[in-house]
Amino acid sequence: MHGSEQLSSWAQTLLDPTQRSSWLEFVREREDQIRAFLQFDPELGLEVAAASSAESGKIGSLRGIPFAVKDNIAVGNFKLTCGSKLLKDFVSPYTATAVQRLLEQGAVPVGKTNLDEFGMGSSTENSGLGLTYNPWDLARVPGGSSGGSAAAVAAGLVPFALGSDTGGSVRQPAAFCGVYGLKPTYGSVSRFGLVAYASSLEVIGVIARELTMIRDVFSAMRGQDPRDQSSVPYAEVESVKGDGRFVVGVPDLASIPLQEEVQSSWEKTLDGLESLDFVLKKIELPTLDYLVSAYYVIACAEASANLARFDGIRYGTRSAGFTGNPEQLVRLSRSRGLGDEVKLRILLGTYVLRSGFQDRYYLRAQRIRTAIRREFDAAFSAIDLILMPVYPCGPFKRGSEGLDPFSQKLSDIFTCSANMTGLPAMSFPASVENDLPIGMQFLAPPFAEERLLQACDRFARVFPVPACPLYRPLQSAGANQSEDSGAHSSG
Amino acid sequence: MEREELDITAQLARLELSEDETRRFEQAVFQMLEYFSKMREFDVKELPPTAQMTQTNRVRRDAAVANDNTEAILDNAPELEDRFIVIPNVL
Repeated sequence: MHGSEQLSSWAQTLLDPTQRSSWLEFVREREDQIRAFLQFDPELGLEVAAASSAESGKIGSLRGIPFAVKDNIAVGNFKLTCGSKLLKDFVSPYTATAVQRLLEQGAVPVGKTNLDEFGMGSSTENSGLGLTYNPWDLARVPGGSSGGSAAAVAAGLVPFALGSDTGGSVRQPAAFCGVYGLKPTYGSVSRFGLVAYASSLEVIGVIARELTMIRDVFSAMRGQDPRDQSSVPYAEVESVKGDGRFVVGVPDLASIPLQEEVQSSWEKTLDGLESLDFVLKKIELPTLDYLVSAYYVIACAEASANLARFDGIRYGTRSAGFTGNPEQLVRLSRSRGLGDEVKLRILLGTYVLRSGFQDRYYLRAQRIRTAIRREFDAAFSAIDLILMPVYPCGPFKRGSEGLDPFSQKLSDIFTCSANMTGLPAMSFPASVENDLPIGMQFLAPPFAEERLLQACDRFARVFPVPACPLYRPLQSAGANQSEDSGAHSSG
Repeated sequence: MEREELDITAQLARLELSEDETRRFEQAVFQMLEYFSKMREFDVKELPPTAQMTQTNRVRRDAAVANDNTEAILDNAPELEDRFIVIPNVL
């Protein structure tokens, strides 16, 4: 199978000197154009990986596989900047549980990828440490906030990358870069080691070009963690097997204007699903109208609390110059170290949590959240999956030619439902319009990630993962000498 | 939101905004709060608030666990004196 040939090549990349130098050369070349990584250090990664896998002795299917990690997820001895000037020199003293589990399988973290600062944004333009360029069109954004991870995977720099999804931040950049992005069920992957932005909404996710990779990585990472009290044991839900005739709920999108390219892709997707014998069923989701406002109230409120710790006292970039007292030190460090979007969300969050305003905003949003969850639960009683676009437009241009911050927020409407409800969702490449990838997504009930994988696998028959112009499949010297060469087929 | 409200909020958030920033944020904050007001249309009577999706309240043993990365943690401190982090005088 094509997939596993690639996998065994990836496993050799770091071990075989010729392959390694050819891969390093390739990464260097591409990085000049894409700038997916904030820190690229395979040597360090090998050290970190060796320490973990030696201890556990568990080596599995991910042995030797290089991967990238979004820079808000801790990997010991690598920096943990969160894309912020305030943490630009911060070196993580520990490793996230999700990453640790991958290390125990033998996977090797080779670098930290760029992101919107603290995960706040949909384009990676809000990074305080530089821009990342979409490998499909360098004039466009890779999406966000896990833009670096998605760009690295799309260009073929690594076979998978970790991201975090608070309101769509794994799925949207995956869609913008023409690859798969899985947002797991809330609580199924430990958040220990994920720098918190909105604790009740976010989860670590996976981005890859191959579904087998997503499955393997998710299987390795998931499961309850005593260090994360919000994590739960993974209780896999039975997928629809056999004929694969998934019943897919298709919501009415009349009230949400879609860019022409997305509309076209949406229609192709519906046609494609029908041709594959999926059963399409119209559903109504009236709470969508209130989704984004409730989402942002909750996200900003939680962010204001979670980011209070970044004060320049114990770690982080301290404001230079004389400061008369610690209070002033904190104010100046935060004001100089944090970017505009982060400040905006902290201000909003602080405001909606102020006494006198809580009822009107925060509590109200939480009640609406209950209604949203109930609506989605009810929908799933009659269907297997929900299909939705990922974003109302395709990958946009940078800066003023692109999408302004307010419009970007409104555009989270399709993705943030999965975060508000804790449901698993996966974005998949649906079509290419005017040379740009457009993605769609499936949502499933809790713990039905396998169903998402099967549905995406089936859809790939009508539209396989596209390759961007800058993508290059791994060139392996001696690809015939795979580790499984003992299994000769004899006709 | 009035200017004064924004100032108080900034103070609570431990952010110091320049005059220019205050103007810019005033607009952006106002725009978002306007948008949030849409929630008022929704009938929330009878709806309990959802704080978090997994709804569990697991506890752990109140026992000490050895931590071996103190050095790495202190390495990130802006200014150290022995094993103390130096900050300006509190008083």
